[in-house]
Amino acid sequence: MRTEKIAATKPVWHADLLGVDDLVVGYRGAALLPPISMVVRPGERWVIVGRNGSGKSTFLKTILGLLAPVAGRVLKDPALRVAYLPQRHGLDSVVPFRAIDLVTEGLDRGWSFLMPRRAGYRARVRAALARTGVDAFAWARFDDLSEGQKQRVLLARALVGEPSVIFLDEPTSAMDLVAQQTTLDILDDLRLMQQTAVVMVTHHLSSALSNADKALFLDAEHGVVACGTVQQILADPTFEYHFGGLVDHHPSQCETGPLRVGSHADEP
Amino acid sequence: MNLETTASWDLFWSSWALFRDPLLVAAIAGTVLGYLGVFIVLRRMVFVAAALSQSAGCGVAFAFFAQIHWRVSATVAEPRVWSLLLTLLVAHALRGSFHRLITREGLLAVIYVMGAAGALMLGTRISQEAHDIQSILFGTGVMVSPADLRWVALTGLVIGTWQLWWRRGFLFASFDPQGARVRGLPVAMLDITLLMTVAVFVSVATHALGALPVFALSVAPALAAVVVSNSPLITSVLAATFGMIAAVGGYLWAFWGAFPVGASQTCLAGLTVLAALVWRTGCRWIRQVLRSEQDPALKYSA
Repeated sequence: MRTEKIAATKPVWHADLLGVDDLVVGYRGAALLPPISMVVRPGERWVIVGRNGSGKSTFLKTILGLLAPVAGRVLKDPALRVAYLPQRHGLDSVVPFRAIDLVTEGLDRGWSFLMPRRAGYRARVRAALARTGVDAFAWARFDDLSEGQKQRVLLARALVGEPSVIFLDEPTSAMDLVAQQTTLDILDDLRLMQQTAVVMVTHHLSSALSNADKALFLDAEHGVVACGTVQQILADPTFEYHFGGLVDHHPSQCETGPLRVGSHADEP
Repeated sequence: MNLETTASWDLFWSSWALFRDPLLVAAIAGTVLGYLGVFIVLRRMVFVAAALSQSAGCGVAFAFFAQIHWRVSATVAEPRVWSLLLTLLVAHALRGSFHRLITREGLLAVIYVMGAAGALMLGTRISQEAHDIQSILFGTGVMVSPADLRWVALTGLVIGTWQLWWRRGFLFASFDPQGARVRGLPVAMLDITLLMTVAVFVSVATHALGALPVFALSVAPALAAVVVSNSPLITSVLAATFGMIAAVGGYLWAFWGAFPVGASQTCLAGLTVLAALVWRTGCRWIRQVLRSEQDPALKYSA
């Protein structure tokens, strides 16, 4: 039974970028959520939703290798180029990094720091800064920028490395409405032009769900994980219980029922 | 006053052969320690440098003690080797799992006081080498041996080259370890390498200059550079330059003022921070004055 399940969820390389196989996330060996299985394919738009403390950031950090999984595994394409935009940057302001220095740093991956940078890297950095609308602050100290500008600089750093999958943890939380829409447009362009998969944790449910192909709903309180298309998630009873009145979509529009991956407790 | 100064210059140049090696050691050690200091400051491990330099001093004192009281041959109880061993041991302990039992700063404090107390206690039992112990702890020595020059030059060249080669990795892993890990940089390897290179050079430099100036040179020039500069590259260049100026200038200051060398170098390194703060505050004040002088009426009348 277990073998069948792994075979069914095991990613097929060259078609899939990243797979999560019965992954249990948590801290110090204590599971926070039931096992999660999902596959991220090129050009897909994923959104991870849930209430505060539902385990969204923990799940993201476990996929990225920043936290050890309690059980299960994360399968990655060996050629996978990951970019990550954290919820809050932990960048120290001691050494004066300018926006351009930070974006240039985004070119390094693996052991590439041992080699001289490729010709034309400055143009790539400039293009990334211009794309996120922060080229005017290129020479400003990162620490002197507003939180919204900092997030756009970090987005430029994520883009400059030409990622195959980009993980974003509430990327627009400090941005004004124009910057939010610009960011979503940039991510959509990236997806369409470079087949970059986008996995985003967000609280902006309506815009996120209307812009996403697939969704992962997490609820640590009730021990519920639901993974599937946006329509499937919208039809999930726990999701409906918490967020039903907050999204523009109506569950009755869904074509199929929710794909329940696991549950720890009774549903509400 | 002028006559006295001229006489001092004459004396200095006539004894150039005597002063050349110490000045070369000061220049190399000051440059490399200043450069390494940027990472020490960036990683907020300022007192790691203090603990390492004191441990290196204790290692040297132990080697002398073993030679004199246990009749261990100078080859086995080589001060540089014991200084290096103790420094690497401390560096390893700082990376270990003690932080689950004791806070990092608590561990650093224990290592620092044990290193200093150990060197002083051993020093009282080796009166023949008491001056050397003083030199190692406080950098009071005016002369350096040709072997010291060779060691400082060789390790300075190797570590300096290594640091420049791996610079981007060290900087990324120090500034944003989480981002570096996500991008597949070998963060653990970079951490170990950085700490070990700092430990090795601090150990070698402590034997030549003394623990106090080595601690000062590995922290103060970098702090000064951080205050006045605007980019990581300029910070590194300025820190190395300030380090060299403090080490060489401190030696010359000690010569003319008849001060202990280590104290002069330490004091000058501290003064670079003060000068940087004055410079930065002055620049900010001038900018504010210029801005306030722009009369809005004049600004829009054109």
